[in-house]
Amino acid sequence: MLDLLDGTPADTVGTSVRLPGNLRDAAVLATELGLVASTTELTVRGLRDALEAFAQRAVLDAHYRTDPGARPTLAEIALAAAEVDGNPLAAKPDLVRRAAGEVGLVKDNAGPDDVLLYAAGLAAAVA
Amino acid sequence: MRHPRTVVLDSEAIQALTDPAHRKHRRVLAVVEVAASRNLRRAGAVRLVVPTSVRVEAGWNRREPDAAAANRLRVDDFALDTPAADDAAAIRSALGVSVVDAHLGAVLGATPGPHAVLTSDPEDLRRIASHLGTRSTILTV
Repeated sequence: MLDLLDGTPADTVGTSVRLPGNLRDAAVLATELGLVASTTELTVRGLRDALEAFAQRAVLDAHYRTDPGARPTLAEIALAAAEVDGNPLAAKPDLVRRAAGEVGLVKDNAGPDDVLLYAAGLAAAVA
Repeated sequence: MRHPRTVVLDSEAIQALTDPAHRKHRRVLAVVEVAASRNLRRAGAVRLVVPTSVRVEAGWNRREPDAAAANRLRVDDFALDTPAADDAAAIRSALGVSVVDAHLGAVLGATPGPHAVLTSDPEDLRRIASHLGTRSTILTV
């Protein structure tokens, strides 16, 4: 998949895709408004973005298989999320670490934004 | 407080990202993980960008076999093409910053915000963001 994503598009292929009618109509409207060149462009963009997200995850996981020590903890990722967002929780690493340790009790496969939400709840509870 | 749409990486961030032995490798990977997590929830939510002059400074040659893994992390190049060079020249003339930082400023002006910048030189980046009037969060590597 990575080779295909990174490759040079040699040609285009016609394909049949069933779209929800309302989505198709919205895409036509966006085209008419000049927001996008065509429904095809919108479809390709959405497809590429989704595949790039899978690829990004796969590349990171492959890196951690060869270098397990490189994998940041959920708390580290949540703190990084707070920093990139300019979230005041970035100044409360202990609270974020506590939230990262507890959020799994209420949500499976919690991500960094789940941790920050939980941490915000903890902060509000003690305020 | 808002989720950035574009995360820009400077030289030390790139060095840390591409070198597993770098002491900040996990730190930069944590930022990449934020993008990966948000992109899985909403495709295309966060774009990681490196100005090409930063790649030069950091020694990241995408044609080198050693760069294969880093090449696949979905970090997009932002080229110093004619419009970007004009923007960077204007920033450099106004603020006297380095060519690389001026190019980074051109990225801030030309990509969708809000922005986050991962840098070892937060002060110059704050000056550039303020000069451009962009909504940018500046993080230290």
